[in-house]
Amino acid sequence: MSVSLSVLLWLPLAFGLVALVFPVRAVGKVSLLGAVLTLAYAIFALAQFDTGAGLQFVTDEAWIADLGISYKLGIDGLNLFLVLLTALLWVASTLWIELRGIGAHPLVRRRELFFWLALGETAVLGALLAQDLALFVLFFDLMLVPFFFLTGIWGGEQRVAATTKMVIYTLVGSLLMLSAVVATGVLASVQGGQPLTFDLVALAQLGVSEDAQTWIFLFFAAAFLVKMPAFPLHGWMPDAYQNMPLPVLALFSGVLSKVAAYGFLRIVLPLFPEASERFQELVLVVALASILYGSVMAFTTTRVRLILGYSSVAQLGFITLGIFALNGQGAQGALFQAFNHGLVVAPAFFFVALLAARAGGSEDLRDMGGLAFRAPVLAALFLIVALATLAMPGSPNFVGEFLILLGVFQEKIVFAIVASAGVVLAAVYMLRAFIRMMHERTAPEASSLEMRRRDGLVLVPLVAVLLFLAVYPQFALRRSEPAVLAAVGPVRAIIAPPPALELPGFLPGGQVPPGAVPQQVPPGAVPQQVPPGVGP
Amino acid sequence: MSATTFAWLALALPLLGCVVSALGYRAWPGRSVGWVATGALLASFACSVVTLFELLGEPAEERQLVSSLWNYAATTGLDAELSILVDPLSVLMLLVVTGVSSLIHLYSISYMTSDRGYARFFSYLNFFVFSMLLLVLAGNFLVLIIGWAFVGAASYLLISFWYRRRTATEAGIKAFVMNVVGDVGLVLGTFFIFQGTGTLDLLGTFEQVDGAFTENQAGLVAGTVLLLVGAFAKSAQVPLHTWLPDAMEGPTPVSALIHAATMVTAGVYLIARMHPLYEQAPAAGIVGAIIGCATLLIAATTALAQTDLKRVIAYSTMSQIGYMVMAVSAGAYVAGMFHLMTHAFFKALLFMAAGSVIAAMANMQDMDRMGGFRRAMPFTFGCFVVGGLALAGVPPFSGFFSKDEILAYTAERGGIFVVLVAIGYVVAFITAVYTFRVIFRTFLGEPVAEARELEQGHLHHADQPTNPATGEVEDTDVGFPGPDHHVAERAFPMKVAMGVLAVLAVVGGLVQIPGVTHLLDDFLEPTFADSEFYEALDPSPASEYIGLAVGAIVALAGIATAWLVWVRRPGTADAVRARLRPAYALFANRWWFDELIGALVVRPARWLGIFAQNIFERLFVNGTLVGGSTGVVRASSAAVRAVQSGFLRFYVAFFLAGMVGVVLWFLLSA
Repeated sequence: MSVSLSVLLWLPLAFGLVALVFPVRAVGKVSLLGAVLTLAYAIFALAQFDTGAGLQFVTDEAWIADLGISYKLGIDGLNLFLVLLTALLWVASTLWIELRGIGAHPLVRRRELFFWLALGETAVLGALLAQDLALFVLFFDLMLVPFFFLTGIWGGEQRVAATTKMVIYTLVGSLLMLSAVVATGVLASVQGGQPLTFDLVALAQLGVSEDAQTWIFLFFAAAFLVKMPAFPLHGWMPDAYQNMPLPVLALFSGVLSKVAAYGFLRIVLPLFPEASERFQELVLVVALASILYGSVMAFTTTRVRLILGYSSVAQLGFITLGIFALNGQGAQGALFQAFNHGLVVAPAFFFVALLAARAGGSEDLRDMGGLAFRAPVLAALFLIVALATLAMPGSPNFVGEFLILLGVFQEKIVFAIVASAGVVLAAVYMLRAFIRMMHERTAPEASSLEMRRRDGLVLVPLVAVLLFLAVYPQFALRRSEPAVLAAVGPVRAIIAPPPALELPGFLPGGQVPPGAVPQQVPPGAVPQQVPPGVGP
Repeated sequence: MSATTFAWLALALPLLGCVVSALGYRAWPGRSVGWVATGALLASFACSVVTLFELLGEPAEERQLVSSLWNYAATTGLDAELSILVDPLSVLMLLVVTGVSSLIHLYSISYMTSDRGYARFFSYLNFFVFSMLLLVLAGNFLVLIIGWAFVGAASYLLISFWYRRRTATEAGIKAFVMNVVGDVGLVLGTFFIFQGTGTLDLLGTFEQVDGAFTENQAGLVAGTVLLLVGAFAKSAQVPLHTWLPDAMEGPTPVSALIHAATMVTAGVYLIARMHPLYEQAPAAGIVGAIIGCATLLIAATTALAQTDLKRVIAYSTMSQIGYMVMAVSAGAYVAGMFHLMTHAFFKALLFMAAGSVIAAMANMQDMDRMGGFRRAMPFTFGCFVVGGLALAGVPPFSGFFSKDEILAYTAERGGIFVVLVAIGYVVAFITAVYTFRVIFRTFLGEPVAEARELEQGHLHHADQPTNPATGEVEDTDVGFPGPDHHVAERAFPMKVAMGVLAVLAVVGGLVQIPGVTHLLDDFLEPTFADSEFYEALDPSPASEYIGLAVGAIVALAGIATAWLVWVRRPGTADAVRARLRPAYALFANRWWFDELIGALVVRPARWLGIFAQNIFERLFVNGTLVGGSTGVVRASSAAVRAVQSGFLRFYVAFFLAGMVGVVLWFLLSA
């Protein structure tokens, strides 16, 4: 039985639509069933996935033939785990809303709520699965719509201002990206003397002239950096994070920002290698600024959502840093980190919801404290998530960060050394937040209660996945490696000579023996031993 | 079954103990979880012993065994497997760690009895031992870093064990962050070395280092110095040491286990483990030796002027580790590891005895309030004196042989090392003085009220439990110390643990008597077979015996001085203090390291944060970038009152218009 990606893509939306005809009480359960089946299907795709086979399960139909837009979906190592992450977090979040509601509001307008959730999943899956540039941009922009409504209707007090700000930022980025997409398709096709196409594989073969790449790259980068968000384009983030309902925020922060990082790897690096190389240092500076600025902000604010929000800015900075190391290690680390960050930030927001409920509804560190007192299970699970968030060695996040920093170290040593300050700062803000919430004297309005079984139903599986990857990160790494190397291939071909010799003056006499630093290991050359029972 | 199988078992058992005692925190009846955790450790120790014999069964040249479970991160040129390296060095550490840890677990069974976090405590302790074993057994850099960081996390958890105390959480975060600084040093150091050798495997790195780097090549020196940063952070060497005295906020068994016997010696182990790198980069070795020497001096002088019982012992730990770091950096590996072993025995013993005193004082740690416990707690007194004699280096106690081996072998390097050794002898004198200052002030003299109460068979309890550091009122529930205290004289497990350590502190030195025994030398030989210093540093028996004699005289002179100052003529200390006021201020204020780090690092970082928060974010991000764009919206906001309808329509329309426009433009121009 082969995997049909159309099923995977439209399953959530189909259930979202079907749920509309059910009685209000059953809507959530039907939606949840849709999310669970989607996850099951994604796991089925994982089981069928063949690491060596490149892009697979491809669906390719002409859609708008006149404009050369095709409905092309596919999975390879780049999007496999992000698809899984999306499916997993949507189950978690839908389950959470079904069990606990969406926050302070009583659960009103349930039909709409679950419909928007389902549409959101289909949109994100579409952006991840799309192998056609126009299809990608369609789904990328579609992602915003459900979150716009989810925030605008069920959000916090400032939700109108927050959504307005978020839409304006994203709109600017989207329009820039849209024109860049059209330009890419047209210019590449015209230069190649081909009929118009937006197929990513075809575009990569056709190529875009170096001059055009420059501004196209900047347009794409602007769209993705806003979405992440990266400093200084994060102005929408504080308000949006403050006002989004927490289970929605878990999805938004956990998945949507990763689509932007994924966009760099899927589109920008393979299609615009010359421009990527040219703007490498600019993007690295932005990434570094995001890391440092996000970290510094995170340890001076007392609002828990913003601590996680600014920490996401910093973590997305690391991911960007890894991508723009422009080598296999950096990109591999970045992709793995994108998955890991989603896996820790989503449960972190669920924990915030639990803890706020115990601190009289306040999400401010000053009103929390001592919440571990009667809640050892809650404290232990949150501690694991908090330590993984600060990329403690032994967590999958550390493996990602290690690869990112190593990748950057090989190319631009100074960036790696400065970025490592972000590692220390992460320890400061995350541990500070944990201690101020869980430890010290219990705040007057706070009361420590153990988590319920239904909370565990959402959180324990997420932590279990985290622990599994902590012990066996190779599970994900080996599956993504060929695709990552292919993604950075074009830009590596431009960067010459080999990077180890590219550090003038820093290592006097440091002539590393050629070939000592394996930069591009051909797929399959790395031993892929898998313990029995873990491999496909 | 081979040696590696038992090493894996020794590693797995504490992890199992950790999980079992954590998951069953409600199910285990009474105090049984303490015995479960201790049992896991004893089983782990037994496995370590079997590992030792299995390893000795191999021919000497084949005593470096690597075993791997699965690929951990073998991708894009990395070759990290989940692998362990079993060789004499790691087996020595395995034995010391599991052995001393078992005894400390045993001690904790009684010491922590009334604590409401009993299961949590043992779960953390087992997790710590697992981490430490992962560190010492690691077969490649990535696993080493993981063990390294886990140890730091376990240390944080245990320092902050009484987590409702603000002083404890602050000490915990300080320790954690400083350890993360060390982790980063280790990671960056690994990058430098990996860039040359292209492998993360330890043995592979050692094989290739000579070919990949020339002697003192910048990349290698940078890498090894960064590894030293990791070692200094973990082993509390200046300037990354300020967390260790604060770490005494943790329960006393934690101080004994982590902050004396095992974790803080990880840096020494790291340097010894990486010796092929340091021999190819001797400049880094000299840096290590100088920092070690500076630490032993700074810590010993600070210890002279502190009044907190546990902090004095903490500074003494720093100082002793300074000796070890100096030794292994100078190439005297066996001497350093020897002192690591004996120090684990006598320092754990000293902490346990101190814990007994602190319990008798109802958690008070200030020496100014203590005195005359000699008759009230004869067993504790005896143990403290044995530990003190070993620490001071009085023959034939264990510390005597190991400290003198360090000084004799390091002096063999000549040059600057002779100066360092001279400082080492001066500090040996100071060590004897501060050690016996503690003993005389705590155990001799007029018995304080608590001591007299105990002599009459009643253990003192404060009316209202308070935090000894701040005087804040506490209760005895989870997150604070329990209501009961336990002294060694009355608790059998504590007595056994201290008794065994006291015997080891006496006889532990006999494995390496110059000219008589050289068990450790022979055992560690396969690990250091490739070392140039291992053969070259061979002081003549005569010079070793002169060293021993000088060491003995220095130690006895120090004890005599302490006796004169604090027993014979009690006013002397004040007179000296008055005359040497600047020096006293320097020592009493711990050389102002906390203030220095605060001024240089902590406060600037906070200012930066406040600046970013209040000025940058408000003015630039919200003001210009957002104010501009929201201004546009506000202008048209009359039409955009209803979010769901108006604004989205605007968005979609704009979106479609833009798309159509751009598409048209390109189609037309094409």
